[in-house]
Amino acid sequence: MVAAVVALSAAVALLAVLVAALLRSHAEILRQLHDITHGRSTADAEFEVRTRAGVPTPGEGAPSASDIVGVDVAGDAIAVGVLRREHLTLLAFLSSGCLTCRTFWDAFASPADLGLRRDVRLVVVTKDPDQESPAEIASLAPPSAPTVMSSSAWDDFGVPVAPYFVLVDGPSGAVIGEGASAGWAQVRDLMNRALADTDVLDGMRTRGGRSGSRDRDADIELLDAGITPGDPMLHHDEPIEDVEVE
Amino acid sequence: MLRLSSAGAGVAIDLPDGWDGTITQREPDPGLSDIERASTPSLALLHAASFSLPSDTSDFGGGAVEVMRFGDVFIALFEYGRESVGTALFWSPRPARLAVGDFDENMLQHNLPGQSGTQQFFTESGRAFCLYVVLGSHLNRARAVPLVNSVLPSITVI
Repeated sequence: MVAAVVALSAAVALLAVLVAALLRSHAEILRQLHDITHGRSTADAEFEVRTRAGVPTPGEGAPSASDIVGVDVAGDAIAVGVLRREHLTLLAFLSSGCLTCRTFWDAFASPADLGLRRDVRLVVVTKDPDQESPAEIASLAPPSAPTVMSSSAWDDFGVPVAPYFVLVDGPSGAVIGEGASAGWAQVRDLMNRALADTDVLDGMRTRGGRSGSRDRDADIELLDAGITPGDPMLHHDEPIEDVEVE
Repeated sequence: MLRLSSAGAGVAIDLPDGWDGTITQREPDPGLSDIERASTPSLALLHAASFSLPSDTSDFGGGAVEVMRFGDVFIALFEYGRESVGTALFWSPRPARLAVGDFDENMLQHNLPGQSGTQQFFTESGRAFCLYVVLGSHLNRARAVPLVNSVLPSITVI
């Protein structure tokens, strides 16, 4: 009788251990499924970018850009969009008074010689007409790039000095490069380094063999088709029926 | 949203993120004498676009519609002279919204394959306007027209 009770107790204890192990395994499966359906992979969760002390982690705290509004050289109202664009925008903060700026005004007069990538839009930003010489700016403004007189844009982007350049990534709306420069070659270097850094970081974060530029290409195609982030078409499980038009 | 306004032109609009826009004050009829021109107020011209507006965009979008892509929209609000106020063409009030059926491939100032447009003439605040809208693709009208309708109510004529 005692032997039977001991055997039964042992069997119950063994079953309890098995049930606990099964519950734990089930919980782990559920956790991984949750990560997958919410766009995180285990590899991503373990991946971490580390920098030296005092150096900010790339991509973290990247300043966000804003669209620009002001007046043009004729005094008319103008707004230039830089957010949610498929292309990059290079903002050139210039003044009519600074000697170094003259180098850029001259360079922008011949945009074909700048060697700008096709997916980069150049926008010149000066301070408001009451802090600038509108007539001088009108004579310097490049014919093929918008020139916006907007002190608020200088404040929004925290421009410390002229000439100053800011490179904005349209799809993310993030400032991916900025700095002062004395010549156009330096600005090109700044852009190339910023783009290379962005691509490397994108590639590191996705870790699936897809490069950042491929992701950006896909974003461009989707935006081009009018499909923006959060669009229900991106989350359909079933084929989409034709949209009925009025 | 970004508020673009011009006190001189008496027009304002709220632009969605990433849109380009301009509000200019047009000279009245160039055929007027200097005396007549001095006593005639300037006329408003508003452009709004979901894409980069070229600097040489003409009144009804020439130079801009050529670079439009599938999902793009272009809006122009063109003011006519005081002599147009009260005429039959401008009798209607501003449409509160546009319907997909308002758009036609043959209603374009610059006829480009695949695009469609609409022109709506109206009077508001004693001023005569034409609202001209172009879609980058007529096939995309079911998506593009709601986008246009999200912007139109924000246009203010002072």
